Amino acid sequence: MSELSRRSLLKAGAGAGLGLLAAPALAGCGSGSAKAVTTGPVQISLWTHDPGYIKTFQDAAKDARLMRGSRFDYSVKPTTAAGSDVVTRMIAQAVADGNTPDLAGLIIDQFPRVMNARIAETLFVDLSDTVRPFGDDLLKLAPYSVDKVPYALDSDNSITVLYYRQDVFDKYQVPEAVETWEEFLEHGERLAKDHKISIGMVSTGDNGSIVNGFNQFLLQRGGGFFNAAGELTLDSPEALEVLEFMTRGVRSGALLALPDPYGSACAAALKTGRLAATAMPNWYNAYGLQANVPDQKGRWRMRTLPRFEGGGHVGSTLGGTGFAVLKDKPHTEAALELLRRVYLTREGQILRYKNGGFLPTLQPLYEDPEFTSIKDEYLGGQKVFDVYGKAAADLPVFYQAPGMQILMDVLGGPVLDALKGRTSPAAALKAGLKAYRQQVKR
Amino acid sequence: MTAPPPTRSAPAIPAAAKDSSADGAASRTWWMRRQRTWAPYVFISPFYLLYGLFMLVPILVGLYLSCTEWAGLGTPKWVGLRNYRDLLGDHSFWTAVGNTTLYVVFTMCVVIPAALLIAQALNARGLRGRDLFRLTYFMPVVISPIVITLVFGLLFDTEFGLLNALGQALFGFGGIDWLGSPGWARVTVVILVLWRWTGYLTIFFLAGLQNVPRELYEAAAIDGAGPVSRFRNVTLPCLRPVTAFVAVTVLVSTAQIFDEPFLLTQGGPGESTLSVAMFIFRAGFVRQQLGYAAAAGVLLFVAVFVLGRLAMRLLGVGRDDR
Repeated sequence: MSELSRRSLLKAGAGAGLGLLAAPALAGCGSGSAKAVTTGPVQISLWTHDPGYIKTFQDAAKDARLMRGSRFDYSVKPTTAAGSDVVTRMIAQAVADGNTPDLAGLIIDQFPRVMNARIAETLFVDLSDTVRPFGDDLLKLAPYSVDKVPYALDSDNSITVLYYRQDVFDKYQVPEAVETWEEFLEHGERLAKDHKISIGMVSTGDNGSIVNGFNQFLLQRGGGFFNAAGELTLDSPEALEVLEFMTRGVRSGALLALPDPYGSACAAALKTGRLAATAMPNWYNAYGLQANVPDQKGRWRMRTLPRFEGGGHVGSTLGGTGFAVLKDKPHTEAALELLRRVYLTREGQILRYKNGGFLPTLQPLYEDPEFTSIKDEYLGGQKVFDVYGKAAADLPVFYQAPGMQILMDVLGGPVLDALKGRTSPAAALKAGLKAYRQQVKR
Repeated sequence: MTAPPPTRSAPAIPAAAKDSSADGAASRTWWMRRQRTWAPYVFISPFYLLYGLFMLVPILVGLYLSCTEWAGLGTPKWVGLRNYRDLLGDHSFWTAVGNTTLYVVFTMCVVIPAALLIAQALNARGLRGRDLFRLTYFMPVVISPIVITLVFGLLFDTEFGLLNALGQALFGFGGIDWLGSPGWARVTVVILVLWRWTGYLTIFFLAGLQNVPRELYEAAAIDGAGPVSRFRNVTLPCLRPVTAFVAVTVLVSTAQIFDEPFLLTQGGPGESTLSVAMFIFRAGFVRQQLGYAAAAGVLLFVAVFVLGRLAMRLLGVGRDDR
């Protein structure tokens, strides 16, 4: 037998190594198909960033009334990860034909990641048939739709309202029922000048916070970043008007510039009384106000947003998390049924509100006595659905597009420059649009 | 006279068995002959297998991906060198390269000398509470990033920050927009780098200083050398291997800086503190442009590799000058 040379040994080693490496790849090519579960016990794998959703689904699974007539006996196996990691890991697992979840919670600003390259279409169940019976009663489908096909149901309407310190408004004679932002800003300018108190905030931290804050006002004014076809609509008079409004507010001190609406600086602004009002979504009550200034219980109230003189809505929206069902899995049918029961039934929406304060996404429920009778003790016992109901009836539609993340990155800097007075609002929008068009070409 | 012992005769073996035994012996001999040749390879094979699996394969896949357009699902589409061409014309990429260069230069020119000086101070004779100082300087490395974000966010806040409040109280001005102005945001990031890594590097220098023979200082003092001269002519030459190691590792790690700008500014305002590593993360895991991210990763790898090799050659790492 001939002597085994060093070269041939290395070749053999390389071959073995490649074989080892190829094995999982080849295994990954398998279909991994298993028999679909159509009845009986089923454990739904749930991936989300928020423990509130875990509790909601777990409680729902045990709720006999909600699950009456179901063919499945549910249990929920949760996995918690950062919002962006849920998407990253889900795609990685899908590539490897691995262990994807049955139900995935996608933060609204992460959804554009799956709008590219038919990822949503490949991974998620098309919910068109599921939502069809609800027609226009089901709110907030647009941000999770690709080519008008919905792939996720939002957990919360995330209605933006105006929170304000009633005691401060009383003291400094700011009318609670101010009609327009322009009028409100005048009161704010007076308060800022005389008492160093602001009646709103704008974010000047990371690009996401800056652009989200801008988008919230822009949606209310009747504008938006994209239309239903995914075309950029930022180059609009509404966008310019809103940015001019924000710039004027920051310059006069009526709007306080803070890195973000949740961090330590914002907490300091709330605690010291520098911030006496702010336009933020419903979830800010728990995560912003009650978390940072529990001692101010009873002093805060909420109302619908003042209108812009030029038109628009009394409501706006910011944030949200949509739940999607992964397709072609043994538990797909069961997961879809669970999602339908928790998200598209009256009982499910009541349970979601009680568990995590998630506002109903079905319009008629804003007039349901179960909701209209709810009083918020932190807001001085105010019947909050009086306000949410009005706002829900006049909510703007928020469309997303695959280029949303790029827009966030390139628009943040110019908007900040405008807010800080380093450039004009018109120039800022022009710069953002130019950068977006350059980068989105890729 | 005793008779010679009877000779023990071998038992009779059938011919076939004889052949097979001969083969077995031959194969044993073959194995035993080759054992000496194979054994070293068998012993080192785990390293090469792991190296192949976790180093070569990712690098090769990265190279392949860098020539494709891929959103993470489906089949990557081959685009040749288009990603590299786009990168060279991407303003954001060059902004990230400029910022990363700034961080590297700052670390090399400020953080390393600062660490050396602190180590020198900690090495002073008769210093009390040396361990406490060491602990204090080392602490920033082990503090949770969440805490760093919260504390630094509040320290540097324009309206409510401690620094601006101090500036106002002591000097009558305190309106610096630390995190909102592009220039000041870069300064803030390098301050965080300085705070976080100086103490860590101090430990290396301190270990090096403790190995410098006292006699050399005594001899230099007898020759009339002052403290500065002793530092220049004794300390620095003796610390050369440690300095070279620190410089090369810091250069390589700072070229891939991610944590500090991500924690403090997330690359903002705009893209003014964006680093190349953040650019890659953003392209890959925010925009789902994995081919583009891979191309930027390949360029970063080449740059770090070349810079690292140059620094090693320049500083004589691994060379025995004696």
